[in-house]
Amino acid sequence: MTNQTNVQRSRRSGSGDVPLQTRANTIVKAADHGTPLELSDITIRYGGGKGGAEAVSVVEGFDLTLHAGEMHCVAGRSGSGKTSILTVSAGLTLPTSGRVFWEGDSLESMGDDEIADRRRALIGYVDQGGALIDGMSALENVLLPAVPDGEVDQRRDMAKDLLDLVGLGRRMRHRPAQLSGGERQRVAIARALILGTRVLVVDEPTASLDRASANRIISILKDTTSDGIAVLVASHDHELVRLSDTLTELI
Amino acid sequence: MNAVQRFIRSRVLLLTAAILIAAMCLSVIVQSQSQAALSRTVDENSRGLYDVLVQAKAPSGAMLQPEIANGTGGITFEQLEAIRKLSGTSVAAPISLVSRVTQNLEAPRLDAMDYLGYNAGLAGTATADQAAGATAPAQWPAAESVLSDQAKKYRLTASAVSSDGVSEQTLFKSTAEGTLGKAKLVEEQAAGGSSIRIAAPSGETGIKFPAPAGGSEHNLFNLSVSLPLAPEVTESVVAVDPAAERALLGSAGDFLAPLEKAPPADARNAGAVGRYLEGLFTNGIGLDQLKDGPDFLGVKLKYWAPLMTQYQQAKRTGQLTAESQAIPLVVRSGTSLDLKYNVKIEEIDDAGKVVKDVGTVSRSLGQDYLPFVSKDPFVLSWPGSTDHTSLLGATGNFNQGLYTPAQWSTDFAAAPKYTDGKTASNGAVDKAAVPGEWVTVNRLPEKSANGAPVDQTQREPVDERSYRENLETGGKKVAAPLAMVYGTFDPSAVSKAAGDVNRLPLGGYDPTPFSLVKDPEGKDVSAAELKPSLSATGLASQSAGAITDYYGLAAARGYTQNASVIDAVRVRADAPGSWKEAQPEVEKLAAEIRSMGLEATIVAGSAREDASIFVPGYSKDDAGKESALGTVQQSWVRQNAAEAVTGSLSGTNVTLLFLTLCGAALLTGASTVSYIRKRRSEAGTLRAMGWTQRRIRSWVLEEFGVGAVLLAVAGVVLSLVSWSVATALVSVSVLVLYAAAAFFAAQQLRHRDVIDQEPQHDERLIPVDSPLTFANRQLGTNKFNTLSLAVAVGVFGAAVGGLIALLIDIPRAAGASALSGLAAASVALPSILLALSGVVVGLVLTLVTGRFELNAKRQYLGILEAMGWNPDMLRQVRLFENALVGTVALPLGVLGALGIGLLLAPYAALWAGVAGLVAVLCWIPIATKVVQ
Repeated sequence: MTNQTNVQRSRRSGSGDVPLQTRANTIVKAADHGTPLELSDITIRYGGGKGGAEAVSVVEGFDLTLHAGEMHCVAGRSGSGKTSILTVSAGLTLPTSGRVFWEGDSLESMGDDEIADRRRALIGYVDQGGALIDGMSALENVLLPAVPDGEVDQRRDMAKDLLDLVGLGRRMRHRPAQLSGGERQRVAIARALILGTRVLVVDEPTASLDRASANRIISILKDTTSDGIAVLVASHDHELVRLSDTLTELI
Repeated sequence: MNAVQRFIRSRVLLLTAAILIAAMCLSVIVQSQSQAALSRTVDENSRGLYDVLVQAKAPSGAMLQPEIANGTGGITFEQLEAIRKLSGTSVAAPISLVSRVTQNLEAPRLDAMDYLGYNAGLAGTATADQAAGATAPAQWPAAESVLSDQAKKYRLTASAVSSDGVSEQTLFKSTAEGTLGKAKLVEEQAAGGSSIRIAAPSGETGIKFPAPAGGSEHNLFNLSVSLPLAPEVTESVVAVDPAAERALLGSAGDFLAPLEKAPPADARNAGAVGRYLEGLFTNGIGLDQLKDGPDFLGVKLKYWAPLMTQYQQAKRTGQLTAESQAIPLVVRSGTSLDLKYNVKIEEIDDAGKVVKDVGTVSRSLGQDYLPFVSKDPFVLSWPGSTDHTSLLGATGNFNQGLYTPAQWSTDFAAAPKYTDGKTASNGAVDKAAVPGEWVTVNRLPEKSANGAPVDQTQREPVDERSYRENLETGGKKVAAPLAMVYGTFDPSAVSKAAGDVNRLPLGGYDPTPFSLVKDPEGKDVSAAELKPSLSATGLASQSAGAITDYYGLAAARGYTQNASVIDAVRVRADAPGSWKEAQPEVEKLAAEIRSMGLEATIVAGSAREDASIFVPGYSKDDAGKESALGTVQQSWVRQNAAEAVTGSLSGTNVTLLFLTLCGAALLTGASTVSYIRKRRSEAGTLRAMGWTQRRIRSWVLEEFGVGAVLLAVAGVVLSLVSWSVATALVSVSVLVLYAAAAFFAAQQLRHRDVIDQEPQHDERLIPVDSPLTFANRQLGTNKFNTLSLAVAVGVFGAAVGGLIALLIDIPRAAGASALSGLAAASVALPSILLALSGVVVGLVLTLVTGRFELNAKRQYLGILEAMGWNPDMLRQVRLFENALVGTVALPLGVLGALGIGLLLAPYAALWAGVAGLVAVLCWIPIATKVVQ
């Protein structure tokens, strides 16, 4: 079981003066939807099924309220449940108990299709290592979330701007195999922002990156908060922990 | 971790080795099952009642017509004796068509019961001692009649219809009117006393149909109305050697035993025989003799009356000469000829208006009909009548039988002659009938028996296509022969004797049935068996009306000594055992017979097979327009059917082995690519640790080596167990494939990753803007796996097509396999099991190749899900992926199925293609569901 220690910090502005998505030539202002993400009394257990394995309680009684423009960091040792909290927050897995609210609406009352549609509009999820689709260029990967709504062409310029912003304007035609780990992470972040996301959920964005690359990622994340985007990040990177507005440390 | 542990850990290699071993086992099953089935069925079933069919002419093709007795002759008795003297001959049974005998059935009549009771003074009334079995006068019942005291007016409508199973034709229809009433006894005084006679009631006009029919008359028991003439019925007579035929048929030939006892030719003088039997009757004949027939040289002639009838008739008309012979016959019991005689009886008023429908009575030729014997097959009874004639007891019957007169003709109704169509040489398809000219049939004779002109309006002659041939017999004009009936035979019992398996033609007395299967436009019709009918004649024949011996043939056709009158000789070789065991002796015997200048066809190992024959010009309407009958099916004899089965099974084996190898190659390729992908990072780590390229290669080859050893051991064991070169070849091929894959993998993994220098994404690719284009891109990225999966699905579709083709082909294969019934099933079952194995192999290949990319698929589906693609969109991606794979697999599956179909069952190839198409189309949604 993991204990939760919440640390509230004063909110700091990001590194840039101009909001990120405004700079992306597309006016996408975060509307005031209230609290974009709230976790209430979340418990996550693994095992204890038919296989006879002993149930392991990874997270118990976890609460979190994430406000717009706030970056919250979930820190903790490996296996402490950071990724689990992120996948539950993104609606990718269901908690053993507890409730997840997106803009005040509980996921319990939603079907799979509704969760998927709401996730596409609300949540940008960046996997650990920035999982991209092989065989598709960086630009195509960024545009993937726009496919279901048929807005690929409309958002092409925005995707290019986003790749410019994350420093990959000249690599947009490269495939994942031709990108470094940090570059893949940045493409994944750009992809997560393409639909005007209001909550960015990022898993270990700086792991296995050199300091310079890590700082670049952290800078991008901080910039998103200035657009009113809430960022939930799991990391044990000291710099990221230091710069986040609030922190939950899983022990 | 040693190589074995690594091999086991590497599930891909373990799975590949296991499936390849399974493929080798399949090849063993293919060999053993098919060989066993072939050996078993051929050994048990491919030897019939005789081994060699000897004819004068060579058969036109690989198919033998069913009726081998056709009157063409060509074999002499000297040649028959020479065949019998061959050391390898066990039985040589000759058969010939003797003649066609046209018989006018006795004039039909309608008997209305008009029984007058016993009257001692009435001429013809029996007394107790007049005849055996006669009823005593005191016990005769009271008079009764179906007619009224006052004569009433009736209209009788007589008609005869005959059906060939497809259409019914009215042969004639004739109407007559008149008054009929109850008879009365009239006592008249005459010199010397009084006499009693039967007289018609006053006002009775009687009923008379046009000539040659007589009128109506009252007798002791009935009022008899003579009806229009019955149609002519023609029966064939074949000649066999009774002793040889019995040896051929075994106990089923016992009906020929009386014929064996028939007197020799010099004791068959018709006049002498007639006088002998007449003398028996004149001198008094006992009840038992009357019942069972008088003894004639050790044979009780149950049906002696026809001979007596004809004897007396011939004697009266001067036909009987010193050369007239009595021909011993064993006649067929029953008939398959469809002929029905109807009389409609209506009571009418003076204006001709129907007052009362009395009823319609009819009689058909049926199982109680005996050619040459049945005297009065068309005696019809007025509704409500009772037959009182038995009150007189059993009397000698000297009424005219069938011989008024019997005409023995050599205008043989030979089996229909067909020529091959343009496209087929095996006789099974595109056959075209080549009939003779149109002939007008159903004519009435110009004069009746009493010389009166016949009213031709009673029958309307029709044009029928003649399928008959007039054959030159070269014989002299012979004296009218007399039929001497020795017994009866049941044609179905003869057919049964040949057995359900390997039933071969025994001659003209067991014709195979015809069935109409397609109409003239080629549309399928529910198979209707064609029956012999009086219109159209000749196409469908029935069993011979009678069987005689070769003395009978000589008497009927008047051939000179040792003429070539034998149509065919069926020879059984003096070699026991199965076909395989007897084959050398049979072939040697056939060669010896051929050296005599005769055609010897080895029918052992042959079987019946349906031949489709298109029959044009079957009927003609009033305007003279000809109409085709359609396509009929008849069992012919396929020579070398056992060899055909062998070839068919070998074809199946080769196809399945080829499919096995294709599957093995596909599987090995796909698994090797998957192995390389999984081990690439591991190889990189080892390189980083300082391993040399050679060491990495060894590291890979060691793992593959474990699998190779397993495959080699399995291959050796299976090859030894099956003792089959094919299995050994398959094992070696699989091993070579596996080794090639090992070297390829080692070569790929020992090198560093080559950095992709391509700087730009290829803009020519279709942009990803929908689930369909996404699926397309994913498949394009993993070309090898996509292709492997498509080929696997194609193999699956082709295998399903092959299975369907075999299933559809079973009925035909059963016919072609020497081996009908259970034997065919025993052949078909292993083939079906093997085809099922092919389907399973295709399915496993599909699953295995599909599984290689499953992890990658799960990964990107997870990414899409995280991006907010809802389940429906993800399902679309999977569906489009499978649809695209299916699009590639479709031509493979359809063409593969067509190819297999053409190889295994050409008749069902199209269905195989359709089945392949359906199988691939069905795979798409199923695979979409499975990957969920």
